[in-house]
Amino acid sequence: MVKSNSSKIGDLIVAFLCFLLILACLLPMLNVLARSLSSTEALIRNEVLLWPKGLNFDSYKMVLEDPKYTWSLAWTAIITVIGTCLSMVMTIICAYPLTYDNLKGKRFINAMILFTMYFNAGTIPLYLLLKDLNLLNKPAVLVIPYCLSVFNMIIMRSFFYGIPESLRESAEIDGAGPIRILISIYLPLSTPVLATLSLFYAVGRWNGFSDALMFMNNKREYWPIQLLLYNILNNVTSIEVATQEGFTKPGLADSIKAATVMFATVPILLVYPWLQKYFITGVTLGSIKG
Amino acid sequence: MRKTLSFLIICVMLLSLLAACSPAPTGAPSSEPTKAPDSSKPTTSAPADDSEIVDGRFVKTRKITVEVYDRSNDGGSKPEDNFYTDFIKEGMLRDHNVEVTFVPVPRWTETDVLNNLLAAGDAPDICVTYSYPTIQAYANMGGVIDLAPLLEKYKPMLTNLWDLLGDNNIYYNQDPTTGAVWAIEAIRAQIPRINTFVREDWLKKLNIPEPKTLEEFENMLYAFKNNAATLLGADADKIVPFSLSFDVGWTASNLLISFVPDATTDEEFFIYGFDDRGLTWPGIKEGVRKLNEWYNAGLIWKDFYLYKEGDTTEANMMKAGYVGSMMQNWDNPYRDGDQGIHGTLQKMVGPEAAYIAIDPFPNDAGKYKKLTYSSIDRKVFFPSTNKEPLASLLYLDWISTLENRRFLQIGEEGVTHEVMPDGAIKTIAATGDKIMNSVNNLDYTITINGLDLGDPDLTTRSLALGYAGVDARFIQKAFNTAMNDGFAPKNFNVGEIKSEAGMGQVLKEKRDILFAQAITCKPEEFDAVWEAGYKEYLNAGGQAIIDERKALYEKYYK
Amino acid sequence: MLTAQSNLIKMKKWEKNITYLKRYWTLYLLLLFPVAYFIIFKYIPMTYIQIAFKKYSIVQSPWEMPLADNHGFEFFIKAFSNRDFLLALRNTIMLNFLDLIVGFPAPIILAILLNELPYKKFKRFTQTVAYMPHFLSWIIISGLAKQLFTPTTGLVNIVLNRLGFEPIPFLNDPVHWVWTYVFLGVWQSVGWNTIVYLAAITGINPELYEAAEIDGAGRFRKIWHVTLPGLRPTIITLLILSLGRILGSEFDRPYALSNNLVTEVSNVISTYVYAYGIKGLQFSLTTAVGIFQSVVCVIFLFAANALAKKFGERGIW
Repeated sequence: MVKSNSSKIGDLIVAFLCFLLILACLLPMLNVLARSLSSTEALIRNEVLLWPKGLNFDSYKMVLEDPKYTWSLAWTAIITVIGTCLSMVMTIICAYPLTYDNLKGKRFINAMILFTMYFNAGTIPLYLLLKDLNLLNKPAVLVIPYCLSVFNMIIMRSFFYGIPESLRESAEIDGAGPIRILISIYLPLSTPVLATLSLFYAVGRWNGFSDALMFMNNKREYWPIQLLLYNILNNVTSIEVATQEGFTKPGLADSIKAATVMFATVPILLVYPWLQKYFITGVTLGSIKG
Repeated sequence: MRKTLSFLIICVMLLSLLAACSPAPTGAPSSEPTKAPDSSKPTTSAPADDSEIVDGRFVKTRKITVEVYDRSNDGGSKPEDNFYTDFIKEGMLRDHNVEVTFVPVPRWTETDVLNNLLAAGDAPDICVTYSYPTIQAYANMGGVIDLAPLLEKYKPMLTNLWDLLGDNNIYYNQDPTTGAVWAIEAIRAQIPRINTFVREDWLKKLNIPEPKTLEEFENMLYAFKNNAATLLGADADKIVPFSLSFDVGWTASNLLISFVPDATTDEEFFIYGFDDRGLTWPGIKEGVRKLNEWYNAGLIWKDFYLYKEGDTTEANMMKAGYVGSMMQNWDNPYRDGDQGIHGTLQKMVGPEAAYIAIDPFPNDAGKYKKLTYSSIDRKVFFPSTNKEPLASLLYLDWISTLENRRFLQIGEEGVTHEVMPDGAIKTIAATGDKIMNSVNNLDYTITINGLDLGDPDLTTRSLALGYAGVDARFIQKAFNTAMNDGFAPKNFNVGEIKSEAGMGQVLKEKRDILFAQAITCKPEEFDAVWEAGYKEYLNAGGQAIIDERKALYEKYYK
Repeated sequence: MLTAQSNLIKMKKWEKNITYLKRYWTLYLLLLFPVAYFIIFKYIPMTYIQIAFKKYSIVQSPWEMPLADNHGFEFFIKAFSNRDFLLALRNTIMLNFLDLIVGFPAPIILAILLNELPYKKFKRFTQTVAYMPHFLSWIIISGLAKQLFTPTTGLVNIVLNRLGFEPIPFLNDPVHWVWTYVFLGVWQSVGWNTIVYLAAITGINPELYEAAEIDGAGRFRKIWHVTLPGLRPTIITLLILSLGRILGSEFDRPYALSNNLVTEVSNVISTYVYAYGIKGLQFSLTTAVGIFQSVVCVIFLFAANALAKKFGERGIW
């Protein structure tokens, strides 16, 4: 197909805009990366822009050589995978039945679920509940309390709505039950949204740490990596502590801050391109005809 | 696809099963070595009966839990289970037949975690905090044990506690009407607070003597600015003659205090003393006006208000050698060895580059008055879930006993300290299990903050050795300067001041906003800006506090 | 006669119900788990919300706590008579509104732009890079912002200075600060938010594009007549959800970006709650403000949903 000239110019303009966007997003990341690799002196003099100065891998070494951190990295990966699977299953089995317009009690359940998005009473009651359920300081507390996000569920349900009813009806005529329809029709057609939501859940779990802080207080071996890094930063920089107690501890503050970002971003960067292949243009949808 | 789904569903089922069938909860962390056989359960409600004590030891083993800060130090040991906790546990068991378990609480989110624990009834028996209003709030909810009757009853058994803290600290927070004591105050061993620091090498280079008056200090600042090229060469445009932080009341403290009239009475200090940076003290406005003048003349770091707590930009500037003068904790530049300001200056700028403490702000009577810390430090309290108050008090007594706390503060010879020829103690940084997670193990010596070896002279000499890589002369000068004409406003205990409840953070923020705006505005706008901001402070609750303090003072002390 | 007829009707109804259950019982089985989750982890703790109306005590359960003054409305009254709260309320609405106007269309436009790119590899690269800022915490972003925008030492202002312009007070003047706040917010979230829209675009039937092509549609017409309508359900859903967050207030962004010279615009509900409620240990006040926010948000949600339905769209329920 030959493109017209104006179309080609349009392409170039779009490409240029994207180029600007890339600059705006990439340059700061490069700055952070460079800082994480720079020497303390260079950081003190604030000389680092886009390229590391006094190249050293100390902050990475500190994390990767200490078994405490490498274990935490592995552990965070484990709970991310388990958590994402659990979350996806819960989201699917919640969204799918709600796409049946004639489901009795649907309005009530919808309202009940939406309500929880807006009203919550804070961490203390959740803490008390988890205590009563014997979930405190157990690994399960990192995946269960927040496993189902209403927001994500709504997105998935919207996507399901986009799948033509005719498919469902013809399958029902063929005698398929709802679960069968879910597995053989809806899920295969929903790969983009499944990939998207998996990414959302995975990133949330990988980077989240406030729940571990509150509910996993005693078992530090089960802390996610971001929590460990958060503690290091606070150790080194808290003025309030210095004022109260009169001392601070030395450390690799600036480069650690930057390294923290790297640990947050890089794993997801590795995963996303792999997920992108699920964002293929709706070829499968094309199989639906008449 | 179906297989994956079935697999996933099975995972979900398994997980729910796991969650449901977990074993019974253990409130305390798992890895606690029990030295003595777990004989009996602690008694319920009523405090321990005297008749169950023989020679300070309980007849039946009691159990208590003690809060300990978890700083999650890099390379640190487990705060609830290490060499020092073993020492404490063995000692408590041996001397009092009390089994001690430590409950770690993250240092940075201490209040949140403590709230959770208190709400769940899991709070440790002995809690520690820096914030008295927090304790007052808990007490008002019925969450704290009144220590007054216990202290009176068991005083004979708590000689070490009294020796260390004295009536002053123990009854510091006693309510004058009800007599209730919600918390006792730990003692702060060293009380110097803030020093004015200036670059010694810059003074030498420009041939300026140490300033002794405000005028001389100001001239020095101008000299720094005008000779930036000489001092910093290519980095001349980075010069900061005087550095401030967003916390103006702290980093300009000595200057501001010098504007307070010398004749200000203890009563006035009390009535206007809610703000710990002295915002409402008489005379402060003129001090801030001076800062405004300096700011507009380009003598103060232009961006001081932009950086929040925890930001390292200001410290980095000092380390890089751009800052001529500033005010900080009395020994701030000398801490942290070669990672600290002094150490880094030596590395990056040169061996003569160093900050020295100076005293350039006399007040209207010629005295170099500056604030010191009062001798109080952390507050120790017992939540109402504490079923073993006597055992807990004995713990406090044990931890205040000189030989016990001495060991905790300096550790083993050869490992965490060495003895100098003149007997002074020099600390060594250890690694591994014997590492100290906090300076002088202050997380364990909850009744004292700061080195105390028993002999004041020995302690002072040892203190000066505690700064790796720093010549003792700097420390001595800093110490003496910070203590020169130092004073701490007298404490008047008037019980609970209701208008102060919940106002701490709010008024603190308004104070800092007022300072920032008043310093950065144009000189001709200063009065208007100050009046507006000050009025806002008073209206938001400041006036109510002043009024109540005045009324309570008159009630109890006039 | 009548009873026989009504009996027959009842029987038919009963049969209908049985058939219905036979058909759909698996759906209810599926829903069992999420509903149980919500009841356990959301509704049971929710009973704690009543502390907004009670005098809080950390040692009592919410049912035992005594009722607060003014029939329990003491804390609501306290908040609304506080000047700081009203200021925070105004700022929250203003900032959220600006976020909506600027930040809601941005990911849609970007998603469409990205979709138009013919160079596949470039497109993937742009996508990946665009969502990177999402991973930066606001503390880090504020550090970066300071490097760029401080009045004398910020890179941007240094460049402006060299070019002969006056420095722009991005961070230290209230009006400029608001725009800096909004644009940093867009920068941080636009790449991430396009993910949902891109996923939705891939769900659009390519035959529709082919049909439009055959009808002689150029690029813009294709976007207008195929892409946008295809995105419509997603846009409406997310718009309703966003409107339902009009009074929501995150803490990190305003806290990290603010400084003492811009507090008249940077103090929002979350920072108010932080200073008064959390640090002031006033749990009841915190919860009361939270309830107020929630109620207003739900009202907006209802309104937005009803409006959408009026336009023939499918709402959130």
